[in-house]
Amino acid sequence: MQIKPIITYSGSCPLFRSLESQILNAIPLDTCEWRRTFQRPTKHVRLEAQTLQFNVAPLEKYKQGDWSILEHPILHIFVTECNDVDTYKATIREEIDAWLKVLTSYGISDWMILLVETLDMRKTKNFMPRTTVLDKIRLDFGTKNDDRCISVLNPAKFEQKSTESFRCLVQRIRFLMLTSYNRNIVKYEELIRSKREKRNHEGWDFRQYFFMQEDLALIFEKLELPTEALIQYDELDAMFSQFIMHTGFNEKQQWLSHFKRPLSAFHGICLTRLDKFEMREKIREEGVSLLEFRNYLFERQAYLLLTSNEIPEIAKRLLDFLFSTLREVEFIKLECQEGALCCWEFVCALEVLQLCEQAMEPNEVTCFQHCAPIWNLAKDKLYELGKLCGLLPGCTPTSEQLHIVVQLSSGIGDAPPDQQQQFLQATPQLRDRSPNRKPKKSAAQQLKEALGSNQAFQKLYLELAELAISTYKHVTRLRSARLVGLDLGNFYCSLNEPHKAVGFFTDLLRELKAENWHMLSSQTLLELANCYRKMGDSLAYTKTCSSISCCVELETLVRTFYFDEFLKSLKTLKTTLSAQPSSENANFCVLEDHFRILDIEVLNQKPIIQDDHVLVQLKVESLYPRGIVAETIKLCYELQATPLEVAMENVSLTATPSAPKVKESASRLKVELQLVYKQDNRLHSASVACDMPKSKQPVRRTSSTKRKLSPSVQGDFTNFVQAENIALQPGVNCIELKAKATRVGNWQFKQLCVSMSSLEFLSEQLPFAAPCFEISTKPASASLEFKTLIAGIVQPISLNVSGGSFIFPPDAKITLRCSKNLRLRLALDTKDTPPRDDATFESLLQVPLLQFKSFEERSIALEVLTDMPGRKVSKHHELHIALSCPWSRTELQIPIEFQPAMEATCRLHTCGTQKFLQVIMKGLDAHLLLHHAKVKCDVPGVQLLDLNPMPQQPIEIYKSLTVTYLYEIQVEPLKTEHELPIVKVHFVIKYATLTQPEVWRSYGCAFDLVDYTTLFKLQAQLEPNELCRLRTVCNMNLKISKVHENPYTDLMYEVLNDQNLWAVCGRSAGVVSMKDVDSHSISLDVMPLSTGFLPMPSIRLSKYTAGGKSKTDAHSKVHPFPPGQVYNSTKSMQIHVIASVAENL
Amino acid sequence: MSFVAVIGKDNAPMYLTTSDMEQELDLQYHVHAALDVVEEKCLIGKGVPESKELYLGLLYSTENHKIYGFVTNSRVKFIVVIDSSNVALRENEVRAIFRNLHILYTDAVCNPFYIPGESLTSKKFDRAVQKLMSGNA
Repeated sequence: MQIKPIITYSGSCPLFRSLESQILNAIPLDTCEWRRTFQRPTKHVRLEAQTLQFNVAPLEKYKQGDWSILEHPILHIFVTECNDVDTYKATIREEIDAWLKVLTSYGISDWMILLVETLDMRKTKNFMPRTTVLDKIRLDFGTKNDDRCISVLNPAKFEQKSTESFRCLVQRIRFLMLTSYNRNIVKYEELIRSKREKRNHEGWDFRQYFFMQEDLALIFEKLELPTEALIQYDELDAMFSQFIMHTGFNEKQQWLSHFKRPLSAFHGICLTRLDKFEMREKIREEGVSLLEFRNYLFERQAYLLLTSNEIPEIAKRLLDFLFSTLREVEFIKLECQEGALCCWEFVCALEVLQLCEQAMEPNEVTCFQHCAPIWNLAKDKLYELGKLCGLLPGCTPTSEQLHIVVQLSSGIGDAPPDQQQQFLQATPQLRDRSPNRKPKKSAAQQLKEALGSNQAFQKLYLELAELAISTYKHVTRLRSARLVGLDLGNFYCSLNEPHKAVGFFTDLLRELKAENWHMLSSQTLLELANCYRKMGDSLAYTKTCSSISCCVELETLVRTFYFDEFLKSLKTLKTTLSAQPSSENANFCVLEDHFRILDIEVLNQKPIIQDDHVLVQLKVESLYPRGIVAETIKLCYELQATPLEVAMENVSLTATPSAPKVKESASRLKVELQLVYKQDNRLHSASVACDMPKSKQPVRRTSSTKRKLSPSVQGDFTNFVQAENIALQPGVNCIELKAKATRVGNWQFKQLCVSMSSLEFLSEQLPFAAPCFEISTKPASASLEFKTLIAGIVQPISLNVSGGSFIFPPDAKITLRCSKNLRLRLALDTKDTPPRDDATFESLLQVPLLQFKSFEERSIALEVLTDMPGRKVSKHHELHIALSCPWSRTELQIPIEFQPAMEATCRLHTCGTQKFLQVIMKGLDAHLLLHHAKVKCDVPGVQLLDLNPMPQQPIEIYKSLTVTYLYEIQVEPLKTEHELPIVKVHFVIKYATLTQPEVWRSYGCAFDLVDYTTLFKLQAQLEPNELCRLRTVCNMNLKISKVHENPYTDLMYEVLNDQNLWAVCGRSAGVVSMKDVDSHSISLDVMPLSTGFLPMPSIRLSKYTAGGKSKTDAHSKVHPFPPGQVYNSTKSMQIHVIASVAENL
Repeated sequence: MSFVAVIGKDNAPMYLTTSDMEQELDLQYHVHAALDVVEEKCLIGKGVPESKELYLGLLYSTENHKIYGFVTNSRVKFIVVIDSSNVALRENEVRAIFRNLHILYTDAVCNPFYIPGESLTSKKFDRAVQKLMSGNA
């Protein structure tokens, strides 16, 4: 069938015919810009045309609205070669006029008047303007359509010169054709629309409508608009479906019965048809079955998609096409042979696949995404057919089935053999993928061969399945690929080649387990068990049986059956295993498939001491349907790499009784309370917030991790806790595992291993942060702890014992040995006990360490007491306590320091010749009571008189407070200082602490009195005695008198005045000799410098040794007297100084 | 509607139900395989986060079933299998089914006692889904 736009001609027909071939050949040579209506994009179109002599008949149809755009003439040309105006006026004008009238009467305005010039008019220049025939024609007809009147030099006569004008002509024809199409398409579309409106009217025939709209599609196709052509087909497709599915049983649709013919033939689609319209004719002429009609529609759509280079779309549409057609066949209840539709589907699928395979590059994933399910479908359909025809493995076709094959084979039909490649060659982008390969057999042929014999069937099935899998894998649809693998595996099983099936099943199983599709994975396990049993792989069979029996999704009956199988097989395993050397680690199983580790808890007190036993409680859920005995259960632990702090935290977590809950809550959101306060502290809002860092997502991702079906890695089992011969009941079991702690360190549990016979169930990863524990050894130590200690009162001190990893005997004790003056005792806990005697203090104390455990830290309170030092010493008491501990042979000496509670000093005071002793008690850190102060002097002739008030009440003394006691010393006159240069005086006082006022301790202090005799007496007197005036010189009389005989003869006196108060006029110091003299008077001039009561200038008296003759002691020396030997009787006298007279004035 | 599946972000099934017990396994296999297409479609959609459409449309069809998909923003997938014979069911209605399913799911996981990622055992959810399923059977 040819589709070429029709151009009619009238007028000088022979002339046109002479030009016809030239014009028709010229039209397709170039494209023409097509400006389309309704803002559709302009397009450059290459046109073809055919010519017919003008005929009214099609116009009649056009007028009646019963026309086809395909057959409708698109341009009408009137040809004339009249060059003579007169002739034109006489005849041609009327001819044209008549012709145009006809056209107008049919409402056609697509015309053109062509004037062929045989004479070159331009040569003769004697023309008047507007006198040529062309001008006349334009004047007569082309007032509005100037461009529709055109002249051309006859190319037959003016070969050279005509080219330009001929080119213009052809261009004009193209342009007018397209203009005509613009108009006609709109008109035709309107016509189609109105036809469609009537689709529910009686007598409406879909087939007519179909051709009508298809004509438009064909025109679009011709005009290089495949997508718009496709739209027409898609509309027809949808409309047809609508009819079938929704209004199918309406009586009005009589035409439907045409499609209801039984499916005696079920040819598939053929995308390599030479005559694209073979079927179109058939539809028009004889009518076709639904299947054929559908095939035709799809073929057309596919062809258009191919021309617009959208091969993936063909594949995408195929399944929809197949399935919807199947539904339609079912819906209108077409009779067909069993298997016929499978054949049809199969052939269609393969046809499209062959096209895609040839056309597409392997990296064009989009196409293969659609191809993969088609391969799968082809595979499934072939299987169905195989089942129908007895071609499955292990079957032999019965005669009935052979009959079916014959019937189906005839229904499949043949693809016309030599028509191949034609269709493909039309499209340049298609190419032969591998030239060496034999030309592919047509789909129909392949199917027929497959139905022909079991071997061919198997071969094709396996090929298709592999192709489906590889295509799915190619487009990374792994799950789908595995699903095909399941079918393939089953097929291999029925082929009795279970070893080939195992691979597919394990792949599927891995995929399903990785994503926790338990129900499906347990099904796959059943398949696997079947395979292994057939293969006689007892180890794999045992493992699979074990897994199956633990699948909670399966029925109990199935589970117990496989459990029994497992036990049975396990017994025989030992012998078979040793017989056949299987691959390494083949006896490993995934523990998680059979047991669920719920909790691991270290029972020991932490930390665990080296050489002790580690006790671990393992809580594990057995998934077996019945109880089972595990020979050993081992839990290995490895040295921990993470910091200790985290580890300890973990231990503490698991130590709490709510440990499992804590673990569960790890996946809970950490929601916190948030309270927002206003400035005045009133609550503004309360909310909960989940401040969760993104890194810690609550949901575990497993999709990316490929879970292994059997673990190949056994952890480091050099350190492990274990239990032997444990009966594990279904459900939760608590097992105590034990091991000796050999190596020191921080350990973490890594892997659990349950052994049954020769099988080892190894855990992949512990499901929670594995608890850590510490095995350690730590030295014991003891120390004394005290603050500043005060001598003389009971002081607390504590003995801190840190047990470390030392294991204490029950009667362990620490001996404390004190240095001199230091005593200890154990402190009593209760304060109510009566105060104990100081005698309970011992210098050697044994502290029992009762029930002392390793790593215990114990603090034992002690009390310590030391004597108060008798004299004031600059240094603190330095004492020590030596500890001897059970874990050490050497004594540990701890220095200990005391500060005195108080200190006593004494001073000697003089009043003339009377002497007084002042004892000053200075309080230091302690708060004490003082009582019963006494002085004692054993020196004969020395008496001490107590001048303190009687009776004495206890006096409190505390820090920075001083208590003074006063005594007079009376030395018998005979006993001169010569005889008694030192008088020893003992001061004794009792003291008690405020907390224990009844316990009085003694404090003693010895003083040495020297220089206690007054030797000289000083007297100073100012004259005038009364009323000293400021800045008036006064006379100061100084009298030095000897009180006691003494060896000091030369004395030096110095006036030590305050320079602001007194000025000494003249000498302020001098030396006097007391040899043979009892007293000396010296007069000095002093002047007061200030008013008021001024202290008398003080005088210092010193021993003077004049410098000798020798060089060594040429200088005089001055030695001060000790305070007891000189008495200044006027020391504290004051002088009243008044302002001077002059100043008053 | 013959099968409804709620599948977690790690592709583990959280809820599966079917009205056709005989074909349950087969349907499960197909639903599992449909995850391939879900992943494919999500991968394509990754480039344009703004116009993110939760409804994924038809994932694939077999002779007897049509499998539709929907993925929430938290990557939880809903997969619904519909009998091919049910031609009256339109795309819009499928969308509506998913919308309802999404609402039901959201209600179910809003339960403070529900731990995200675990399978949905809520009876109320189950009842509602069964109702949804029978309503469109």
